[in-house]
Amino acid sequence: MCDTCGCGDTDELKIHDRQPVHDHKHDHNHDHDHTHPHSHEHSHSHDSVLFTQSHDHGAKKVISLNVDILSDNNRLAQLNRKSFEARNVLCLNLVSSPGSGKTSILEKTIKALIANRKIFVIEGDQQTLLDADRIEKSGAPAIQINTGSGCHLDARMVDSAFKKLDVVPGSILFIENVGNLVCPALFDLGEFKRVVVISVTEGEDKPLKYPYMFQSSHLCLINKSDLLPYVDFNTDKTIEYARSLNPNLEFIIVSAKTGEGMDLWFDWLSRQK
Amino acid sequence: MHEFSMAIEVINLAQREAEKNSASAIQEITIEVGDLSGVEADAFGSALELLVKDSILENATISIIRTSGKGKCNTCNLEFEMNHRMAVCPQCKCFPSKISGGDEFRVVSLVVD
Repeated sequence: MCDTCGCGDTDELKIHDRQPVHDHKHDHNHDHDHTHPHSHEHSHSHDSVLFTQSHDHGAKKVISLNVDILSDNNRLAQLNRKSFEARNVLCLNLVSSPGSGKTSILEKTIKALIANRKIFVIEGDQQTLLDADRIEKSGAPAIQINTGSGCHLDARMVDSAFKKLDVVPGSILFIENVGNLVCPALFDLGEFKRVVVISVTEGEDKPLKYPYMFQSSHLCLINKSDLLPYVDFNTDKTIEYARSLNPNLEFIIVSAKTGEGMDLWFDWLSRQK
Repeated sequence: MHEFSMAIEVINLAQREAEKNSASAIQEITIEVGDLSGVEADAFGSALELLVKDSILENATISIIRTSGKGKCNTCNLEFEMNHRMAVCPQCKCFPSKISGGDEFRVVSLVVD
């Protein structure tokens, strides 16, 4: 999967290596086995055809593919997943809109757990090393991916970053995705579980507005609970909306600032195998 | 915005298939975009049209087929047309329903020389 989005240029992608350099060559040529030298009939219910023109195949060759356009990313994500499992690494993909407090949650998590468990972080942002700096100050090795104008991380970026982080067996690998509730929902990174963070300063209708993200997540952290007395955020309504989309979604209400609920989050982490 | 990434992926995929088939050019490409796929068909089409310049798809006719969403009610098993992911079953009014179609996003076929 490409590392660009919008008007991005692939040269914009930067992976900031803070670890000793291991320069691996990766071959990303992928063959698909779906090509047949003959045409198939397709039966789709077509709402509309946006671009068409009548055509005569004549001596031309029709290649019937039916290849999922995300299949390359999905295949790489599956390889990442196997790689994490083989090393007994618990990989979690943290997603949210910008400003929900993902980095603050990670900082507090690292400080609380680092004595007993190794933690590594892959940070995704369009620009700057600010988040990776914050994470490293908390005590965990971090690698920063700058996506340039890209709006999400993909499995290939995670693969490259993972190979540069010397992740030890039994550790937790957090991937802090680019703050965006839209695009990251479609890109499997190979994580064991996806954690969506929402803060009480956002509207309780966010799950309904961004259903893909809430449908594809396993846990929802509702952050900034210390601000509940000052905002019109209806926690029950948020949970109701999100569960209407994803009945299996778990919830933990936390405040990274005061520490409220963080023990429940740590318990949840310890239960993930 | 991920439609641009997807468009680049399609161009790469087309390039690989052309090479595998020793084709010098691609005449046509047909892509299916389901209404529940999370990809905006119009934005994707515009992105692809912008990005095909100097690629194997530069002179190809691009056909984008939109597929309507289909759901199957988890309670009464009714299959119905699903306009969005939060559609309520028209028969028993239950929610949610399983998506049974319209989440596809794939290259259906290529026509090469």
